[in-house]
Formats: sequence, C-alpha cells, structure tokens
Amino acid sequence: MDTMGSDENILEMRGITKVFPGVVANDNVDLDVRYGEVHSLLGENGAGKSTLVKILFGLCQPDEGSIHLRGEPIAVESPAEAIASRIGMIHQHFMLVPTLTVAENVALGTQSTRRPFTDLDVVSRRVSEISEKHGLAVDPSVEVRRLAVGERQRVEIIKALYRDAELLVLDEPTAVLTPGEVDDLFVILRRMANDGRGLIFISHKLREVLTLSDRITVLRNGKVVGTTAPAETSREELAQMMVGRAVRLTPDKPLMDASAAQLKVEGLTIRGDRETVAVDDISFEVRSGEILGVAGVSGNGQRELAEAIAGLRAVEPGGSIRIAGVDVTGDDTRSRRDRGLGFIPEERMRDGAIAEFTVSENLVLVDHGAAEFTSRGMLDFGSIREHSQKLVDDFAVKTPGIDTPTSSLSGGNIQKVILARELSASPTVLLACQPTRGVDIGAAEYIHTRLIQQRSLGTATILISEDLDEVMGLADRIAVMYEGEIVAIVPSEEATRDRIGLLMAGVVEAPDQSSV
Amino acid sequence: MKRQWRLGPAVLVILGALALVGTACGDDDAPASGSGEGGALRVAIVAPSASDDLAFSQSMVDSVHAIERDVELSVTDGTFIIEDAAAAIRGYAEDGNDVVIAHGTQFGASLIEIAPAFPDVTFMWGTASDTQGLANVFAYSPAADEGGYVNGSIAAALTKTGVIGVVGPIEAGDAVAYINGFKAGALAGGASEVNVTYTGSFGDVALAAEAAEAHLANDVDVLTGTAQMVVGAVGVAADAGVPWFGTQANQTSLAPSLVVASQVYHWEVVLEEMLTLRDSGVLGGQAFEVNLANGGLVIEFNDAYELPAGVRDAADAMIEGITNGTVSTG
Amino acid sequence: MGEFFTLSVLVATAASAIRLATPYLLASLGETVGQRSGVLNLGVDGVMLLSAFFSYWTVLETGNLWLAVLVGLVVGLVMGLLYGVITVFLNATQGISGIGIFIFGLGLSDLLFRQLVGTPKPVRRLPNVDIPLLSDIPHLGEALFQRNLLTYLAFLLVPVTALLLTRTTFGLNIRSVGDNPQAADSLGVSVERTRFVAILIGNSMAGLAGAALVLQLGIFQPNLTQGLGFIAVALVYFGAWRPIGVMGGALLYGFVNATVLQWKALGIIPVSGSDLANMAPAVLTILALIVVARRVHAPSALTKPFTRH
Repeated sequence: MDTMGSDENILEMRGITKVFPGVVANDNVDLDVRYGEVHSLLGENGAGKSTLVKILFGLCQPDEGSIHLRGEPIAVESPAEAIASRIGMIHQHFMLVPTLTVAENVALGTQSTRRPFTDLDVVSRRVSEISEKHGLAVDPSVEVRRLAVGERQRVEIIKALYRDAELLVLDEPTAVLTPGEVDDLFVILRRMANDGRGLIFISHKLREVLTLSDRITVLRNGKVVGTTAPAETSREELAQMMVGRAVRLTPDKPLMDASAAQLKVEGLTIRGDRETVAVDDISFEVRSGEILGVAGVSGNGQRELAEAIAGLRAVEPGGSIRIAGVDVTGDDTRSRRDRGLGFIPEERMRDGAIAEFTVSENLVLVDHGAAEFTSRGMLDFGSIREHSQKLVDDFAVKTPGIDTPTSSLSGGNIQKVILARELSASPTVLLACQPTRGVDIGAAEYIHTRLIQQRSLGTATILISEDLDEVMGLADRIAVMYEGEIVAIVPSEEATRDRIGLLMAGVVEAPDQSSV
Repeated sequence: MKRQWRLGPAVLVILGALALVGTACGDDDAPASGSGEGGALRVAIVAPSASDDLAFSQSMVDSVHAIERDVELSVTDGTFIIEDAAAAIRGYAEDGNDVVIAHGTQFGASLIEIAPAFPDVTFMWGTASDTQGLANVFAYSPAADEGGYVNGSIAAALTKTGVIGVVGPIEAGDAVAYINGFKAGALAGGASEVNVTYTGSFGDVALAAEAAEAHLANDVDVLTGTAQMVVGAVGVAADAGVPWFGTQANQTSLAPSLVVASQVYHWEVVLEEMLTLRDSGVLGGQAFEVNLANGGLVIEFNDAYELPAGVRDAADAMIEGITNGTVSTG
Repeated sequence: MGEFFTLSVLVATAASAIRLATPYLLASLGETVGQRSGVLNLGVDGVMLLSAFFSYWTVLETGNLWLAVLVGLVVGLVMGLLYGVITVFLNATQGISGIGIFIFGLGLSDLLFRQLVGTPKPVRRLPNVDIPLLSDIPHLGEALFQRNLLTYLAFLLVPVTALLLTRTTFGLNIRSVGDNPQAADSLGVSVERTRFVAILIGNSMAGLAGAALVLQLGIFQPNLTQGLGFIAVALVYFGAWRPIGVMGGALLYGFVNATVLQWKALGIIPVSGSDLANMAPAVLTILALIVVARRVHAPSALTKPFTRH
C-alpha cells in the first residue's frame, strides 16, 4: 500500500474519559496510531487499556473525547459500526463460538451472497485464500472446539482480515501462547503492519512489547504516562512507568545450601480428566531452601502433577509422594497440610478462596478449627480478627477491611490473601501454581519477594508456572515438562530462554547436557 | 338467595402476573367472603376439578343450588393439588362457614387434621363410605354401580359387535363402582366383551380421546366413561357415530344425538338429610349414600336418541327392580 | 398379544401416536429454536393453554377452524412478545419468568373459559385431509397420510426448522447467541434482536401447539394441557436440541402412549397393571434423557441473560 511507512495517522483518539461507578477508567487519554505501525498499549491490570479499546470498538461509550479515523471524526456506537469502519479486534478471551465451524465463525455477522441462506462455500474459499496469503493455516470446515489455542487465535485474526480490517486491536494475544507460538504470531503481525495496517497491541509483558512495537504508550490508573519507542527505553524504565516507582524485575536471591530433600516424588503416574495418562512415571525431589521451577506449555501434565501433590487427584499404584520423609501418597489434603504442605492453587478463585467469603474468613479457611481460633467448639472471632488484621498488614493486602467480600478485591490482592494464609502456616513444602498469573507487576514483585524469603527460611518450594521469566528468575533448578514427562532438569545457571524453550517444545537434548 | 364466590383462576392470574414482574408476594390477600345475610346458611365447596366440568365437581355445585334453603355458597375448585385443597378447607372453616364440603376422596387425610380443630363446623366428605370416626364429618357416596348396571344393560341392547368400551380415570372411588356395575349390566344383558381402559388421569382429555379411539379400533361400537376427562372421549364417540353413556352429570350437551342416557348425581337428597341432622344438633358422624331408591341417582334419558322398541321399557323395569331390590347389580 | 399385530390395530396405533405427538412436536420445535438462542421457556404450557382456549373460543363463536388456528398462533406471538420483553430486554431470570408465564396462562385460560364459555361445549374438530396418491398406499397411507393439516404442518416444520438453524444466516446467529453471545455481539450480531425473534418463533409454535391440541379434541377444559408443555421442554433435551431428535422424542412419546392405550383396550395390560403401565412414557423419557445427557451438551448460554461487560 502507498501508505506504508508513512507518518500519517490512521487513528487519533483525543481526550478520552470514561468513568465507571467509583473508578475513572480513562482520564483524558490521547492515542495516535500510524498506518503500518505496531503501537503497544502497556499497563497493569486496571490501567485502562481494555476500556480504551472497548470504546474504540463500540463496546462502551466514552463520557468525553473524540475519535478520528483516517482523518474523519467517528462515533462508534456498536461493534457492528466498528467493523463497518474496518476496525478489527482480537479479544483477550476468544470471541469464537466453539460449536460452530471455522467458516461459520468467520461468516457470523457478515452479509451472505445468498440471503437468507448462508454461503459457507464462498466463505471457506476466502478463508483459504487469507490463510495462504498470511500464513494462517486452518481448516475452514472444522468445528472451533476441536482446535488448539494457537489455531483459535489464527481464526480470530482471519475473522478480522475477512472483514478487511485496517486497524487491528489485539488485546493480550500472547497470554495463552507458547514462546514458539508467540514468535510465529509476531511474524504474522509484523507482516500485517508492513501491509500498511495499523495495529494496537495490548500487553503487560515487557519483553514482548519491546520486541514487537514501533511505539509504546504506557497507561497507569487510567492516564497516559508517556509514549516511547523500544530503542529509547528499557524493561526497567517501562516497568517503572507502569508501576510508578522503581521495580526490581529479577529478585535478588541469596545463595542457599540446599540440604535435606523435603518433597520426594518417585515413579509418579497420573491419569487426567479423560482417563489418559497425563503424567508418566516422573521422579524428582525438592530440597530445603530450594525452589524447583516447573516449566512447560500449558496442558503437559503440570496441572495434574500439582493436583496429585496437593492430594486432589489420585495417582496410579507404584508411585509415591513423600513430604519430610513421610509417605503421604494415600493421604487426604488435610493430613498433607498437617505434614507441612502449603498450596497456592492455579485457579485461585475456584480452589484457593471462596469469593463470597470475607477476607478474614478466607484467611482462616484452613485453620479455623485450630485451638487458637476456637473456644469451646465455637469460632473465636476475637482472635480470628486479630490474626486476620495482622496478616493483611504483614502482606500489604489492599482491602477496605478484613470484612470485605474477597470477590471485590483485585486479582493480585486475592493472591496475597491466599499467600498470607499459606505462608503463615510456615510450610515445609510449598506448592505454588501460576502464583502471579493475571496479577499486576507490583503484586507480582511482592509475591516473588515473599517466595524468596520463604526459601531463605528453608521451605522447599515447587513453582509451577507458564511464565518463563518467572521460572528463570526464581528457580534454583528448572524441570521442563513435555507430554507428561520431565524431559530435563536444568540448573538455573545453565538455563537460557532458548534452551528451555526448545525443551518445552519437546526437543530433547543429548543426555550429557542435562544434569539431574 | 344464592350467591357464589369463586377463587382459583383469578388468584392464579394475579400470581402469574406477580411472578412476571418479579415482585415477591408477601401477604395472601384473598378476598374475604361476606358474612351471611339474614341467617343464610354459609356453605363452601372445595372441589378438585372445574365446577362446571359436566362431571363430578359440577354435580355437587348443582346439588347445593338445588337445596330448598337460603344458602350463601363459596366455591374453590380446580384444587387438584391436595395441599391447596387442604388450605382452602381450613380457610373456609376459619372464615366461619357453617358447612364445608370436601368434595374428593383424596381430601380424607386432610380432614383428619382439620375437622377436630373446628368442632362447630360440619364437614361433608365424599365420595367416602365412612366418616373416619370424626364426629363433625358426614360422609357421602353414590351407589354408582346401580346406574352403571342400568347403562350397561341398555348398552348391551345397542351393541351389534358385542364389544363395549369403557374409559375410566384412575381405579378408585365412584369410577370403580360405576365401571364394575356397567360391566356387570352389559355382560348380563348379553354383551360378549367389555373392555376397560383406565387412562391414569382425571384430567388428560387427549389421552381419554385416544383411549376411545383405541376401543374403536378394536370393534367397540358403544362407549361409556367416567370422570371429567371423558369430554374428549365423547367427542370421539360423536364423530364416529357411536352411542355414549354418561355418568356423574347429564352429558347430553356434549353429543346431543348420541348420548343415550346419563346417570346423574343428585346430592341434594342426602345434603337435605345431613342439614336436617345439623339443625337438630348432630354435626356429623354418619355416612350417606345416594342411590336409585332414594332419588339421589337418576337415569336421565336423552329423548333425542331413539332407543329401539322395548329397550326403554326394559330399562325402566330394571330401575324399578334395583329400587325394590329384586335386581342385584353385583 | 397377537391381536395387537393385526394391521388395523397397528394402523390405529400409529394414527393415534401421530395425533398425540402433534402438539408435542409443534411446541418442542418452537422451544428448540428458543433454546438454541439461549432462552429457556418454561412457560410453554401456559402459552399453549391460552392459545388453546382462544382457538377453541374462536371456533365456538365463528365456526371457522382456520381462523382458530391463526388466533392460536397470534396468541402465542403475543405471549412471546411479553416473554421476550421480560427476559431479553429486562434481563429477568428465565426460569422464574417462565413459571410466571405458565401460571399466568393457566389462570387466565381458566378464568376466561369460565367467564366466556362456562360448561364445555363440543366444537368441530380438525378434519383429516387425504394427501393425494400417498393416502392410497395400503395401510401406511391410512396411518400417515390421512391426518389433519396441523399434523402435516408439524412434521413439515421439522426440516424447515432444521434448515433454519443450520443453513440460514439467521440460524447461524441463533446458534451463536446461544453458545457464545459475547462473540456474536463482538461481530455486530444483535443478541437481543436474535433472541427476541427466536422467542417469537418459539412461542408462535407453542401457540400452534395449543391450537392443535384443542382442535384435535374439539373441546376445552381448564388445564387442558395437563403439563404437556413441560414435557415438550423435556423433549428438547431428549432430542439433543436438534429438530429431528425432537421429532423422534415426540413420536416415541406418542407411540408409547398409544401402544399402552391399545394394550389396555385389548386387555393385554390388565386393569390391575394400569398404574404401572401409566408410568411407561415417563420412565422411557427419563431413561432416554439419561442416555442423551451423557453425550450432548446444552447451548452454553442457555438460561443466561446477556449483558455487555
């Protein structure tokens, strides 16, 4: 296109303000996007990125401000109008109908050439053309529910391209992808920008933003902090812009002498929800004062492993789990906790806390039967309140009070509540699953500091995470899982992103390179 | 003078509307029934089906209207749910009615709880053959087998195939009596087969219609049936040109050219007796039966249906025989 | 048992089954459309009662059967407007609103019947119409092609509904708002409008079902449906939200009922076994539901009101 590389703006948003009850989501926000540019919107959860693009896409209306598209003022009242103006959006949660085929998902909401009937054969042909042109391989006749996550994202992009989107918004598109898939996506996005399209890329992952963007606009508390370019900034500076203060991205880790093995797993085989083998004969140990990171693409057995250790899932005969030397393989969750297991679950609102309960109630969810919280068989609310208030203070939980319903807290603060509850029991073994997923940088930093502190206290920690930066920053050794097996355990000083990334993709190294 | 209050459907409409606007309905502001004027006897009927069902419930409403007294009548009908009926029975007793008629065998258990709490109220309960030992409960029942027997013997005279079909609800109460009497009468009259179908429902009109269709597919050329759902079966008989015998109420209007005769319940005969006892201070404790002899059961012939010569005379003779005890319906 | 397998009895059984199935089929097909769009309507029975009453009253007053069918359809449509406004635009809880519609229909049809009619009076029934040629097929023709026009319409609506759902853009919209309304909304498909129209279609068909019920019987009685509409809702689950499956369910229900009645008439089921036999349709339905429930999933957004976040 002739506009390629031009300085001309495809989009100009000026003075956008949006107030929700009690929150100013966008406060006088300006944003320009040029033709042929990838413009990243960076910010913590709740910084106002999503609200801004929802306004652009007609999903909500601004209280103040104006939008110019290709130099013309527009008012976007609905997604239909946005699409008609050739604005496309890839939502963070895929906007796909699982029971419909790819072609049906693409055709949804478009005019058929054979009204009132659908023209899926015509749509399928165009989908194939778009697939080929942009390197987005996908079969138009397959039901979306049968597709892998990466494929679903391709369908989303095809949907936008099918509608000839010239301005494309991608809301956290990498959250669900493996490092390899992220690389592939970036190639496609760059190519689309080179075609002259304007792309808005929303993320809170600094590394990705720096890799992909032409320009970066950082939002904090609904306001624009500044706009910069990758060449002019750094991860540290971006993090500081996001959080509003200096942030330590890689926590300092004192050297520890790893001593006795506190968690010992031997010959563990676990069946998944569909009765297939999810974890296949794995063995490892975690020592006192050590963090063992478990890396891997989602769905390679990490969840089942975590559930088995926590006592939520049965293991096949022959395998064993020992905590502090005691075999707990057949024990229930309560007795495992009594042996010193702490558990930060992946699904924090499902397995970690009860949304309707107050902060205080969630803080004593495990120990409410303990002698210090009961008197004569009844809950002793005095001591419970005292204990809760102390934990809220100690762990810097941002909450109006200990009687606030937990569901009204932010993700990071809910995680701090769970962390406070689990760490206050001084666990011998700590099982932390995706502890900072969906948590803002400030809270993530705090959680990391706490995990390191716990390591210094001698806790044996097993950290299961899909965030490679997190695993590499915290772990002393990194176990990589692929298709239910631990393909390698790599000491942190030998771990590089590329090496771990290859292992995650199932590329097994020569045996002499891995040290167990 | 007689005035009649009806609850039921109006309450449902209001309830439905309330549910629709999502408003919680707190107080139950059912209209209070007016107090008796000038010493009128306050009577309430709680009936399981519609009070104009051309069957069981209507028979009682019509009968109360036929009493030679000043009655102020309240009716709650369509209470096919027993709990609703029990609530209505208790409500009427609390409201100071003199007589509460629990018109359904299935209300017996509720009366055991309710009647002793209102010793000044007379409860009438039917169809039932005993009072369950309650001092303020009168029981009433029809000798439905008598009319059934008469209907059956006429049916036997009309059938050419010799096969007669019966559509019944659930095998209970006066339905069983009527059907057994009918069967005995038909077989004694020379019918070769009497096929009985209990559909399992008092209300399912469609099922009753199809039960009649099933009979027709099996050589039946005369039909009868009992309970309020038979209106569907009568329609099938009418379309097929097959004679129909009614019971509980006069069903001639449902098929004016094909209803031969109906056994009609005239509860007023025993109602009068019970009320007279009440006047003399006896509030209950006795069981009553309507039958051909006391005039509580009447075979009403449809003059528009021309019976073959001699059949009507034979039927009249049979009624006479049952009345004076020379003919047994068993 | 041998008597049952005579051709005339089998033909009568089939005819009876199809008559019984007709109102179920119409109501279930309509409910299928609604549920595929994510709207559960537990008020089907109430809609059927109201339309049955008005259809009946129309024949009683005018003698015109086709006007009666039209009136049944329009009453369904009006109830659909009511239910649609309540559930789609006011976002009321579908389960409770549906029960409200049921109670409302039950009560109002009862009240109107007593005020306007009183004692049941028979009216003309839907005449059977022979389909040329097909009705001449021995036995089969008699069983299948000598039925009334609403029965033909009901079975014709099976492929029509299937085509609507699978081959039209509107059907695509219906399925998408039933499974992921957020996705449909993000593509400019109006969730509200799609659901509203689906509700109108569903309720109109429930209205037709009420008309079919009453016009096949030629008489009205309070609570004529006896819960038929609720079974129609269950048949949608039974049929796995597919018109052909729903038809299978309605026919199975009709056949079981018709067969039980034939067997009772023939004495194959003795009077003493009546109560047990009466459970057959319900038991079969429950069994089939258990089997079906294991392998299919309801539309994901069923019963969930839609709001933009």
